[in-house]
Amino acid sequence: MDSLVKSPWVVHYNCNSCNGCDIEFLACLTPLYDAERFGILHVGNPKHADMLVVTGAVNHRNSRVLRRVYEQMPEPKVVVALGVCTATGGIFAEGYNVLGGIDRVIPVDVFVPGCPPRPEAMIDGIVAALSRLSAKGRGQEVGPAKKDRITYQRPSDPAAEGKDDAAHRP
Amino acid sequence: MTTETIIRVLAALLAPPLIGALCFGLDRKITARFQGRIGPPVWQPFYDVAKLWRKEPMVLNRVKTLYVYLHLAFMMMVMVLLVLGEDMLMVLFAHAFSSIALILGAMSVRSPYSRLGAMRKIMQMLAYEPVLVLMVVGIALDNASFSASDIWVRPQPLLYSLPLVFLAFFVAALIKLDKSPFDVATSHHAHQELVKGVTLEFSGPYLALIEITHFYETFLVLAVMAFFWITEPAVGVGLAAAGFLGLIVVDNISARLTTRSMVKIMWTVPLMLTIINILWLYR
Amino acid sequence: MESVLVGLLIFGPILMGVLAWLAPGNRSRVLVVVLGAAGLSAVGVFTAWRGPFDFIPSTWLPWGPWAMFALEALEDVIITYIGYRLASQAIVVCGVVQFGLTLTEEYFRFQNPYLTQAPHFMVDPLSLILVLIITVIGSLIAVYALGYMERHAHHAPSSAGSNGRFFFFLMGFLGVMNWVVLTDNIQVFIICWEATTLCSFALIAHDGTGEALASAKRALLFTAFGGTANMAASAIGMAQFGTGDLTGLMAAGAMVPITLLCVGALTKSATLPFQSWLLGAMVAPTPVSALLHSATMVKAGTYLILRLAPSFTGTRLSDVLALCGAFTFALAAGLAIGQSNAKRVLAYSTISNLGLIVGCAGINTPLALAAALMILCFHAASKGLLFLCVGTIEQEIGSRDIEDMGGIRFRLPATTIITLVGMASMLIPPFGMLLSKWMAIEASIHSPLILMLVVAGSALTMVFWVKWMGRIQTVSYHPEERLEKLPPSMLTALVVLVLIVLACGLAAMPIHRTWFEPMVIQIYHGKLEAIRAAQSLVQLKAVSHLAIWPVLVLLGGAFLAWLGHRTFFKGRHERLPFLCGENVVAPDRFYSFYSLKDQPDSAWAASMYLTSVFSETKLTPWANLLALMILMSLFVMGGVTP
Ligand code: SF4
Repeated sequence: MDSLVKSPWVVHYNCNSCNGCDIEFLACLTPLYDAERFGILHVGNPKHADMLVVTGAVNHRNSRVLRRVYEQMPEPKVVVALGVCTATGGIFAEGYNVLGGIDRVIPVDVFVPGCPPRPEAMIDGIVAALSRLSAKGRGQEVGPAKKDRITYQRPSDPAAEGKDDAAHRP
Repeated sequence: MTTETIIRVLAALLAPPLIGALCFGLDRKITARFQGRIGPPVWQPFYDVAKLWRKEPMVLNRVKTLYVYLHLAFMMMVMVLLVLGEDMLMVLFAHAFSSIALILGAMSVRSPYSRLGAMRKIMQMLAYEPVLVLMVVGIALDNASFSASDIWVRPQPLLYSLPLVFLAFFVAALIKLDKSPFDVATSHHAHQELVKGVTLEFSGPYLALIEITHFYETFLVLAVMAFFWITEPAVGVGLAAAGFLGLIVVDNISARLTTRSMVKIMWTVPLMLTIINILWLYR
Repeated sequence: MESVLVGLLIFGPILMGVLAWLAPGNRSRVLVVVLGAAGLSAVGVFTAWRGPFDFIPSTWLPWGPWAMFALEALEDVIITYIGYRLASQAIVVCGVVQFGLTLTEEYFRFQNPYLTQAPHFMVDPLSLILVLIITVIGSLIAVYALGYMERHAHHAPSSAGSNGRFFFFLMGFLGVMNWVVLTDNIQVFIICWEATTLCSFALIAHDGTGEALASAKRALLFTAFGGTANMAASAIGMAQFGTGDLTGLMAAGAMVPITLLCVGALTKSATLPFQSWLLGAMVAPTPVSALLHSATMVKAGTYLILRLAPSFTGTRLSDVLALCGAFTFALAAGLAIGQSNAKRVLAYSTISNLGLIVGCAGINTPLALAAALMILCFHAASKGLLFLCVGTIEQEIGSRDIEDMGGIRFRLPATTIITLVGMASMLIPPFGMLLSKWMAIEASIHSPLILMLVVAGSALTMVFWVKWMGRIQTVSYHPEERLEKLPPSMLTALVVLVLIVLACGLAAMPIHRTWFEPMVIQIYHGKLEAIRAAQSLVQLKAVSHLAIWPVLVLLGGAFLAWLGHRTFFKGRHERLPFLCGENVVAPDRFYSFYSLKDQPDSAWAASMYLTSVFSETKLTPWANLLALMILMSLFVMGGVTP
């Protein structure tokens, strides 16, 4: 049995969400939904986490934060994007500062649709990501997640790439 | 050295983490039930450690990883010294150095959360160390020997002569196992103000080693509780179970205190209880 | 043979000091000091290896007693003169009283022909331990001082004395200090004791600044006060008990002189309430702090108490010393928590450990005395080393504040590792300091109050060491490390001393078993009431049987595991610290984060100093008052008689 599947530890990062998704995600931890049944722990920092749960439409200001949080997670790791905001920008897509879709910043493994998604759907999404985590743990290549129905996509914007990335660490 | 000693040492190194992990799993299960949840399976700590072991050994600098090994080594030393029947005060010191190793590891990086967690861990040690030392002295006074091997051969349970010390130890155990209201340095529950405090900058296998040390520690705390009634092992185990349940209850019903109030509380009530108890032994 | 050894130990260093002073240039001084140090440590080790002996000079000139009188009177006059020059009435009073006491002593001495005989040397194991410390560690510190003082001279104030003068006092001090521990005659003891006081004064005042002079003045006042108590003890001993020897006083059970000697010893060892002079003495150049104010001179006080201890078992004096020492141990450890000045932390730690030695001597059982001896030895080595490390760090980074020492592991990797070993040897098993603290706790379980103080003290000690250790090894990620360049003399001294510390530390238990255990058993032979002695001996035996191998095996295993791990861990797993994702990623600022307005700011967490409790201003007055009351309890209610 794959231990990676049995104990997904989650870090949650809110990049510019309306808090709707966040509240629903926190509801997952409550007795009603009880995500810990599956060993899901909310560890609150990337250093211990296997899974990054992102909510909100990423913008120019916090894209670099999202990238750092992702970088600071140990391999293997997966990203679960909650809500339509993370997929396309959702209702914020027209915003002057919105990048529209976190897959422009970091590779995403699972998109969970909804505005906000229901907690059941979120837990489903996390569990769905586990198979990809396990595959990564075995060293297999997994491609990026497919966004099945994309309602809106902004033209690509070179300024979206963060400004401090000139010198990556070795 | 006889084969029997070797077997005992090996048992002391292998059994405690298993038992400790089970207890920790039970802890999580019981906590979940208190909160009206189903909770993870009792085997969850094993899964966690197995998973952490497979993760990337990510660090900030290489030297700090030495301290993780020391953290575990000192805790194993506690077990070995105990089964060899060595001096209990020495055992206690080895135990303290396990925490010190973790603190030094956390302080050896320039990470503010980790440093703050380490400072708080020092305060935790300052809070409980006198109580633990006096507990050992109390046991030694009652036994007329500091040797751990002499604790087995007692006419009557330790709890008869050291009831207040047991209470004080209970409070100290809250700190040792990072339970509310004293989980200031790091916490097993989701969020806290220091992110994960002292363990923050350890990930992957290093965190696994820290978790294993924590299992040893859980076992050790429960074993000490059981020692208070070791004349009848069944009662002793019952006592440990009751103490464990008590720890979980307190963990669930209390909110976190500040470091300062933790030291103040520890140096007043439990320390005084211990001192009164010990003075009574001198009579 | 014996006369040669004693002569070399005493007059060798003094001669070297004179030569070092007269040396025309720096290079000849280096030669003199290095050769002198090598020779002295060789003689010291040889003497210790040869074992104890009694030695009475076979030739004793008729004017010998007069020479002793002249020396003592000269010192009194010097003290009075210094007091006059520094406009300190208290010192002048001390000097004048000392002169009066000297005259009294001489009056009684010349009445009793027995007392004018040649002063003899009694070299027992205790003296040999001290001789070993003085010669080996003292020589290393003198070698270190060569490099240190050369650098020091570059930025020392213009008022500072010459380096030649410095080495005269430093080397000369080793000679008189040897004399202090070798002699049995109280008068010679006092002459040398005062000479160490004067050396200490001269070395503290070396920089000649106002602060240095004020500290030197305070040091002189406190230690001269102690010297006065010693002289009174000597005078009473001669007048009332007709003896001028320490052994004579002990045999006669002369409680009044012994008590006075103990008071003198307490001032020298800077136990509360006499601690302030030792803190002030930290303005001296660091080799002085290492040599006089931690490794040797302050140990003279504890040496005297340890020497006298068997003569006052079970008396009020013993109890008061135990309480006073344990109180000092706990309070000084607490005060160290509130300090961020590295040398002051070391000073408080020294005071604390001296307190524990005094406390153990006061507990006065074989186990306690063994603990005291362990502390005496291991503390001298470790603390000498730590002072040298702090001196090096201070010269390199230009600050002695602990908070400024973050990141030195990158700038000074070798010094940092040596410092860490030094600190570990103060705290962590299997090093001797931890073992001795452990023995001290076990020895103190028969008196609850002492026990509580010792327990509290060890918890507080741990806090300030761990805090500091954590700070000096805080380091950012740096791709490559390079070794720092230190003057060869400093590096040699540091490396040799750290090797000594490591070797002694790892062999602490065998050392205890081979030397200290038989020694204390012999010291207390027939001196304790049967039950207590039996108890303590059982305890001592139990302690000696501690198995150290699990400690070594497991620590070694951890180290090997780490080393093995390192080899296939090639740097690619290194990441930035968690700063909520706001890290600045640029080649030179790995540890900064974007703060307000996207401006980079660096993350910093200061250590806790708990100044609401452990600040000097709040704690010291109360601590001093309490300590004074403890001491005063000697003199009220029935006095010092058993
Ligand atoms: S998906 Fe909907 S609920 Fe979630 S953050 Fe976006 S707007 Fe809010």
